[in-house]
Amino acid sequence: MGVTCVSQMPVAEGKNVQQTVELLTRKLEMLGAEKQGTFCVDCETYHTAASTLGSQGQAGKLMYVMHNSEYPLSCFALFENGPCLIADTNFDVLMVKLKGFFQSAKASKIETRGTRYQYCDFLVKVGTVTMGPSARGISVEVEYGPCVVANDCWNLLLEFLQSFLGSHIPGAPAVFGNRHDAVYSPADTMVQYMELFNKIRKQQQVPVSGIR
Amino acid sequence: MVTTTYHKAGSVLDHSLESLIHRLRGLCDNMEPETFLDHEMVFLLKGQQASPFVLRARRSMDRAGTPWHLRYLGQPEMGDKNRHALVRNCVDIATSENLTDFLMEMGFRMDHEFVAKGHLFRKGIMKIMVYKIFRILVPGNTESTEALSLSYLVELSVVAPAGQDMVSDDMRNFAEQLKPLVHLEKIDPKRLM
Repeated sequence: MGVTCVSQMPVAEGKNVQQTVELLTRKLEMLGAEKQGTFCVDCETYHTAASTLGSQGQAGKLMYVMHNSEYPLSCFALFENGPCLIADTNFDVLMVKLKGFFQSAKASKIETRGTRYQYCDFLVKVGTVTMGPSARGISVEVEYGPCVVANDCWNLLLEFLQSFLGSHIPGAPAVFGNRHDAVYSPADTMVQYMELFNKIRKQQQVPVSGIR
Repeated sequence: MVTTTYHKAGSVLDHSLESLIHRLRGLCDNMEPETFLDHEMVFLLKGQQASPFVLRARRSMDRAGTPWHLRYLGQPEMGDKNRHALVRNCVDIATSENLTDFLMEMGFRMDHEFVAKGHLFRKGIMKIMVYKIFRILVPGNTESTEALSLSYLVELSVVAPAGQDMVSDDMRNFAEQLKPLVHLEKIDPKRLM
């Protein structure tokens, strides 16, 4: 996959989540982007069961198990600031077997769903982030297909982001870090989604309906 | 998807290897005999439960770029004592190369590791492996190994959806054809403890 930037779009002043998503997608369509199906990225959180902590003497860690519709046969498992494992979907079956050791954090499932847009070499995905029935925010993912080295195309990505996000452009994703010359991989995208989901979980709930 | 694995095993002394390979080439599917050199690590996760959770991580040492293989094997099914093969639930997962780092982060610790070198044959859905186990002298260093014994382990296995008991009958019939070069039996893992 090409270098990708995942960011959060704040809800527009006086509008709700759905209306802001519509504003964004309309801007993209005016630019000339073509709708190309839908996408979904989801994340389930697990924590080490109390029974396994004693022997290691460490605080329980959170493990995230994620899926991305762009890679339907894969499953991504990661720890914050830790390794990201890419596995096939049988990993989900293994997590069921491991339920005595890893428990799913209550009501932790978070996901983003929306439309995919292709604009020349850019693939843009605007999604509504939901936890259970409530919409909690908006995710914007932009991938520049032809390039796999962050350093070589970040400025171009930024320029494109500016053309439809206006002033809400994000800073360089933390995953680029100091490895600007490393080859970008799908795991880097999943880390960005994990960080975005964690940020949204901590935010106050956005009013679902009505113009304030 | 949880699948079931059916298993029978035996062994042959080094000097009988050639005859066994020759017979297997005749009995098995017509394909170039495949050799393999794998490194397997067995990881345990200890909890309050009486028995630790066991996972097996395996990687190819001679085929660069192939995914790592993670396997969970359940307890042997107590079923028909007349069944000819050892039956266990299994979950097989292909993973990226950072599997061992990830397992350690989950809290698993490596219990033991070994290198397996040998031949692989297939007959329909049956897989036959004839291989030698090598002990790794310095943990993590697969260059320095020594053979565990003067024999080769022979394993006949099938991975299939649950409940296909005809599979163990087919395995018994195939195993008959390998006698007297090698006697394949259902190995009770508890006997080895």
